[in-house]
Amino acid sequence: MPDLKYVGQSVTRVDSGGKVSGAAVYGYDLVLPEMLYGKVVFSDRAHARITDIDTRLAESHPGVIAVVTGRDVTYIHGETVQDTPFLAIDKVRFIGEPVAAVAAIDEDTAQAAAALIEVTYEDLPAYLSPIDACQPDSIAIHEDYDSYRKADFVSPGKTPNVLEHFKLHTGDVETGFAESDIVLEETYTVPSISHAAMEPHSAHAQVDSDTGRITIWSPNDAPFRAREELAMALDRPVGDIRFINPLQGGGFGAKGGLKLEPVALALAMHTHGRPVRVKYSREETFRSTLTRHEAVVTIKSGVMSDGTLHARRMEIYWGSGAYNEKSATVCIRGSQFAPGPYRIPNVSVNAYSVYTNKPVSGAFRGYGIPQGTWACEQHTDELATRLAMDPLEFRMKNVFTEGDVSYWGEELEAVGLKECLAKASAALEWAAPRSEGVGRGLACMIKPTKIGTESAAAVTIDSDGNVTVLAGTVEIGQGCNTIQSQIAAEELDVPIERVNYAPLDTDVTPFDSSTTSSRSTYHVGNAVRRAAAELREKLLEYAPVAIGNCDPADLRLHDGLVSLQDNPDRACTLAEIVTRAVGSDGVLRGEGECARNDGIELDLETGQSPRAAAYYMYGAHAVDVEVDKETGIVTLLRMAAAHDVGKAINPLTCAGQIEGGAVMGVGAALYETLVYDEQGNIKNPSFLDYHLVTSADAPDVAAIVVEEPLNHGPWGAKGVGEPPVALGPAAIGNAVANATQTRIRDLPLSPERVYWAINGTPSNGD
Amino acid sequence: MRRPVPFELHQPRAVATACELKHQLPQKSFFLAGGTDLVIAVKERGLSPDSLIDLKRIPDLAGVAEDTDGSLTIGALTTLAEIESSATIVARYPFLAQAAGEVGSLQIRNRATIGGNIANASPSADTIPSLMALNASLRISDGANQRSSTLEDFLLGPGQTALRDGEILTAVVIPPTDARLRGEFIKLSPRQVMDLAVVGVAVTLVTDERSRVEAAAIALGAVAPTPIRAGAAEGHLLGRVLDDDLAEAAGAIGADECSPIDDVRSSAEYRRVMVRVLIKRALLNAAARAPGPIPWRQRGRKRH
Ligand SMILES: Cc1cc2nc3c(=O)[nH]c(=O)nc-3n(C[C@H](O)[C@H](O)[C@H](O)COP(=O)(O)OP(=O)(O)OC[C@H]3O[C@@H](n4cnc5c(N)ncnc54)[C@H](O)[C@@H]3O)c2cc1C
Repeated sequence: MPDLKYVGQSVTRVDSGGKVSGAAVYGYDLVLPEMLYGKVVFSDRAHARITDIDTRLAESHPGVIAVVTGRDVTYIHGETVQDTPFLAIDKVRFIGEPVAAVAAIDEDTAQAAAALIEVTYEDLPAYLSPIDACQPDSIAIHEDYDSYRKADFVSPGKTPNVLEHFKLHTGDVETGFAESDIVLEETYTVPSISHAAMEPHSAHAQVDSDTGRITIWSPNDAPFRAREELAMALDRPVGDIRFINPLQGGGFGAKGGLKLEPVALALAMHTHGRPVRVKYSREETFRSTLTRHEAVVTIKSGVMSDGTLHARRMEIYWGSGAYNEKSATVCIRGSQFAPGPYRIPNVSVNAYSVYTNKPVSGAFRGYGIPQGTWACEQHTDELATRLAMDPLEFRMKNVFTEGDVSYWGEELEAVGLKECLAKASAALEWAAPRSEGVGRGLACMIKPTKIGTESAAAVTIDSDGNVTVLAGTVEIGQGCNTIQSQIAAEELDVPIERVNYAPLDTDVTPFDSSTTSSRSTYHVGNAVRRAAAELREKLLEYAPVAIGNCDPADLRLHDGLVSLQDNPDRACTLAEIVTRAVGSDGVLRGEGECARNDGIELDLETGQSPRAAAYYMYGAHAVDVEVDKETGIVTLLRMAAAHDVGKAINPLTCAGQIEGGAVMGVGAALYETLVYDEQGNIKNPSFLDYHLVTSADAPDVAAIVVEEPLNHGPWGAKGVGEPPVALGPAAIGNAVANATQTRIRDLPLSPERVYWAINGTPSNGD
Repeated sequence: MRRPVPFELHQPRAVATACELKHQLPQKSFFLAGGTDLVIAVKERGLSPDSLIDLKRIPDLAGVAEDTDGSLTIGALTTLAEIESSATIVARYPFLAQAAGEVGSLQIRNRATIGGNIANASPSADTIPSLMALNASLRISDGANQRSSTLEDFLLGPGQTALRDGEILTAVVIPPTDARLRGEFIKLSPRQVMDLAVVGVAVTLVTDERSRVEAAAIALGAVAPTPIRAGAAEGHLLGRVLDDDLAEAAGAIGADECSPIDDVRSSAEYRRVMVRVLIKRALLNAAARAPGPIPWRQRGRKRH
């Protein structure tokens, strides 16, 4: 590979200045001319029929411009299952569901008017766990589920409320268990947790009073997909809708799909052209937006006495909350890979995504992989213990390697997993003795990037030599603007300071499926690289107008100049080429795209597919913990996190993703859980009681970049955004078990849970 | 979070004026110190004051002063950041400095006052157990007259104090202590910082050369409607040689003296067990230490 100037360099984040100084304006901060202020009335019942909504007092309140309920806006949205009303229609399905909304001239008026709306309910039985909700005699949370519009791949279950039943079968598990030397079955659970992005949710909407065209300003991670979902709900062409992305202060999946956009739009449809802003407080964000799926995972495994994994059966219940959001696909993808990154000849998975009367669950950094990884990796260590085998050796013996055909029937390429395991464990001197009270643990994973998505990009250069990248990936804090700028600078060989990343507007920006699934560096990166390459060809083609007569084949583009191969003195700047070719107001533009439409749908009965993902990412974490056996407090001593990113376009941002994800995973391991009362009400909707990791609790993380190149990724790159978050709980759980000789199968590993696990359950406790 | 309804703000320059204002103003008026409890109550707990009377402009209500008799007076408006770094407190009662230093975050401690921590009367208030273990008393003024109260008499229940309408807490007074006094405060919380105590334990000890306990005080936070003294556990220590067994026994007695509740942070049962463990640890830690400042490195919950 020729020397690279920008790719592979730890270039400073291009967006860091404003974010550090505080000058950056996020979606939440945005103020539009003539803007009205929206306020939402939420359901305080987990499951109830709405018998009456009295809005009269609110409507006559001075300063109120619009009051809307599900009677006024009857649209239903949903990406894979169309099940979500803009505002509750006839019934509510969770505490926190938007029931009515008010737009007023200021925030106080909106708040006062919202408080005047009276909703009368008739309670229905509420289901707060996926297992309760899918019993044969459970009542349906969505009575009309069968008639909802759904994506082809959705397979509803046979018992009530099962919105998706995923199946994967290969080999013959029962025979496999019979042939195995050791068989172990255990159940593991993961609670629902909150994305807790630093910026709470907001959306602004405006309906043009002349044309009826809709504009939404929303820090959404997938504006094109949100536009399509909205268009489908409204039964209007996508062209009638424009999404503008203001800066986003984190999201982790909670800001994909439609969240506040439908509420803001419902109001904007009644304000005669004035824009409406709806923003949620932290508490409202906790209660009403999105959570990560709770899951109950049962694994039965058979191993041979030499440590070879032979059979695995899994049964998984995913708590989807009141609406589908992305539950069907989280169930499919999370369950498909839940058996782990291992060669297993006999595998059977039955997974059920179940509606409950809790807040909606959806995409969360890792898309179902963290839950499966927790269960699978605890189970892996439990098996190693039974085998009296070292957990590292056991994994090394069974993990995927290059060319393996996986249990879902795909031949794997660019598998850097063994290197991740080797490097993460070496960083902690895996075999070195550890002192009393200290435990060491390890975990590894596979994470797919979804296939069947597209990215397009354009790169332009103006007559001053400024390069602009237009691409639809959203800067959600991960650093994609920097990566794409590096790629354009590299391909065009222009200084990175001359590269600008255009703000995102679906009217202008080329299409991109979504900023999800760790797909941007690969998909958008390929598209930007191709667009920049096309622009480079154009510049070379036009160069003779600036340089004088020559054969374009003899030209070379380097350092912002084009010169003759064997006569470097004959050169011109890129700006000169643009000016001479298209005039001083002109721009030259290159376009590129990356479409991965070569996926093969999973077989609905067996979950088999020879191409189930665009590519796979691999990772391993190792951690040392100290457990205070008298209090149950777990202290993290050090953590090593190795991730196979294919090629680090920017090693520093890769390390940032690894470290940030690893630390986020510590929260899920030790502290985070949404606590519900018997009515389905979240008891800890604030950062006082919902504990995130602070810097004082974060361990030192050795971020290790492994580069097993993917030949179709840009310079070999895969992705890195999601995997690091999945391994914290898994590795820490194993380390705690190692320190205490006690296996805890439920998260989080709170002091109290660890204490009772070590010291026996409380005498009168539950 | 709610946008507060507009209210009046008064900034008197004397205690007497503040007390007078409190009498004159309508029912829903409150004294404001650092505001780290009060403003949250307004924004998140539905408190709608008509007016606030800011005490921060009143001179002489803040600061740490050593009196000639050896007692220590801490003005009610002294911030927790000042207490955490006061040379006098760090030298004499390092566990109190530590307790102040474990409240919230630096930003909170820069505003939060010790008077607010006490007057807010949270069962988990971090500074109260150490003050109780030092037999501190409170100085209260109604503008004209001064009175004094023990912490035990002052704290009536969660958010409930014996302050009468128009009275201001002006200072906390720590009576003279034995030069050999040593103490310890342990705050148990899942997170290292920015967390409320699941259990807080403060102890003070005076022992003779043979480790025989001459005086002991044990105060517990977050395990009863107010912080409490564990009198029976204290009594058990007196006259005995402090060793592991005695500390363990005192812990077991103390665990029986508290009345913890279940809440979102912890079960009552776990709190009770932790009282046992932390009394033991606090006693042994205190005994193992020479009087004087605790180096920063040694602060934190894992001292045993
Ligand atoms: C993020 C955060 C974290 C926190 N963490 C902790 C923690 O870890 N530990 C802990 O103990 N606390 C914690 N707190 C609570 C709070 O910071 C403390 O209780 C603080 O000491 C209160 O002091 P203040 O000066 O801010 O009181 P204010 O909020 O001003 O007042 C509190 C109450 O006391 C009354 N009051 C105040 N001063 C006087 C006076 N001199 N005379 C009469 N009445 C008075 C007020 O009227 C009010 O009712 C936290 C708070 C926040 C917001």
